[in-house]
Amino acid sequence: MIEAGWLIAAVVSTMLSMGWFALCYQSHWKQVFPGHAGGPNTFLLKLLGRGFLLLSAVCCLAADHPSMAALVWIMLLAVAAMTVAMLLSRRPQWLRLICPSFFADKG
Amino acid sequence: MFNSFRMSMGWVHTWLGLVLGFVLMICFFFGALSVFDREIDRWAIPDTRFEPQPMPSFDEVLKPVFDELKPHPTDMAATQQRVIGDLPDPDTMPLKSLYAYTTHRDPVLRIGGEFGIPNEPKDPADDHLHVHGWATVNPTTGETLSDSALKIGSDWFYPMHFNLHLRWNMLGYWIVGVAALVLLAALVTGVIIHRKLFREFFTFRPWKHVLRSSLDLHNVTGVVALPFHFFFAFTALVIFATNIYLPLSHTTLKPLHEQHEKLEAERTGLPHEESGEAAPLASVDAMVAEAKRRWAERDMPGEVGYLFMDHIGDENSYVSIYRAGSDRVALVGEGIHFKASTGEVIREEPPRSVVASIDEFLTGLHLQHFEHWMLRWLYVFGGLLGAICIATGFILFVEKRKARHAKAGSQGSRIVDAMAVTTVTGMVIAAVSMLVANRILPADLAGKGQWEQTVFWWAWGLAFLHAAWRSSPVAKARVNPAWREQSWVLAALSLLAVVMNWVTTGDHLIKTLFTDTYWAVAGVDLSLIATALIAMLVARKLGAKATETVKPKRGKSAQHNKQVNAYD
Repeated sequence: MIEAGWLIAAVVSTMLSMGWFALCYQSHWKQVFPGHAGGPNTFLLKLLGRGFLLLSAVCCLAADHPSMAALVWIMLLAVAAMTVAMLLSRRPQWLRLICPSFFADKG
Repeated sequence: MFNSFRMSMGWVHTWLGLVLGFVLMICFFFGALSVFDREIDRWAIPDTRFEPQPMPSFDEVLKPVFDELKPHPTDMAATQQRVIGDLPDPDTMPLKSLYAYTTHRDPVLRIGGEFGIPNEPKDPADDHLHVHGWATVNPTTGETLSDSALKIGSDWFYPMHFNLHLRWNMLGYWIVGVAALVLLAALVTGVIIHRKLFREFFTFRPWKHVLRSSLDLHNVTGVVALPFHFFFAFTALVIFATNIYLPLSHTTLKPLHEQHEKLEAERTGLPHEESGEAAPLASVDAMVAEAKRRWAERDMPGEVGYLFMDHIGDENSYVSIYRAGSDRVALVGEGIHFKASTGEVIREEPPRSVVASIDEFLTGLHLQHFEHWMLRWLYVFGGLLGAICIATGFILFVEKRKARHAKAGSQGSRIVDAMAVTTVTGMVIAAVSMLVANRILPADLAGKGQWEQTVFWWAWGLAFLHAAWRSSPVAKARVNPAWREQSWVLAALSLLAVVMNWVTTGDHLIKTLFTDTYWAVAGVDLSLIATALIAMLVARKLGAKATETVKPKRGKSAQHNKQVNAYD
């Protein structure tokens, strides 16, 4: 049960991480905030993205033997990136949930 | 020939990918199915729908089964071809070695053994002559289950992904090996072509023209699962490298083979030859208990995955017990070897060297015997991403050229499109048709497995004929209606398979999900329903597109044109 908790935490943090990485790009930022004048605060988004990527790796290691955790983590990156790509193509506004207004560059 | 290195890499990527892409589709799709091969077996053989069991007692359950084991008629016939004179009566052949193998997903136990024969080989270099026998056992009762039913998951879909069922001169293994090598080359050339690798992590624009949107999907599925694609192509080559692709031990080093075995026996203390003195068998259950105690002492308690006994009935007989690797990536291991007549430990295998550990990890990550359901589904996801990547590659190839080919009167795009339909929807139709046949044909039909295989090949062949027959619009720069029509067929067949499972076994989804939960069957049924829904969605979308007036669109940006042209 504890292992399942760690794995769920790993899934969530990988998704968040990939979402923030995607929002670093101006083109994706415009998809999520079409009417917004400024651009993304790339420093903050990259910092959060990297931090949560590390956190997801820690969660995987807490759940499984290191050899298994490495595989889970790599595969989760693929799932998370694909999920974010699909969200951006179909429901980009959903990514606003992980990106409050202060994530924007005042530009 | 090309203006730039990148353009030349684009050529390599396109043409190698196209030629071997059809094989890679098979590898990825059936590889993804193989992740749940045992579960598909349970769906296809209703008599085996019970919970997985650990290795049963040898003394009480397995020993009587091995006492009854006989040489298999198939192997009798094969061995007869290799020896001088007639083989003796199978009932008189002594069992020389035996094995039992199970995993955490197997409700049934696979057992087998080698029977000694006095015949001389026709080819003097043909050593280790035996006749093999094998059986499938219900580990709770020791009852031998009929082995005539085809294990569709583990004996058909699984081998399909690594040997294509082309066994003549191991041709299938070689084709798949070349395809794996080409995949590695395609990955490297793909990375070179795409300069904006990380941006393409998240870019998919389905509203754009089919050329642009299929390129997006090709890029995103190739890039996000790049480590998966690389590792699976690489480990596939590693697994077969020593046995098939670079079989040094069977060729150049063959004269040393016998000597190596003797030296290995001296080093490990496990006898290479029989002594000629008969000896009784001590309790194997006691040996299993001792092995488990030693594993627990090493802080890795576990169950038995593989049990092997050699030189049966002789003073030199020994029993090898290997731990099931359910909790880690590596396969069975931590072997402990016992003297069969006394039960004393001959050898406990030391921890693996670094090289052996890496080899075990690479092999284990591909063969995935571990008990980690989330990772297993992630593997399915990775395999399907690979299949999507290749399928969109085909679409890209056709869309890029069909207008030009139509103008020039060439049939090139038409042929590639027909092949693409055959290896995308046609392949899935073949797999699902086999499941439908499995549920429709009577369980006691003689040669039922052979009929199922016939249905598989016929369904695939018909899908090809249909795709080719309907492909004429591609020669006029239009869409092949076979995509849409085969999607409808796939949807219908998938739903039919679920319904037929219910009708013939009574195992409907409410039962397998809620009232008498059995995830193996529920999972296959749910996957079939998901397949049907996706196929219906695709068919409807293609139908809607077919009614639209198609206007060729020009790429807006120079970058767009540059990237698409890189595939030329």
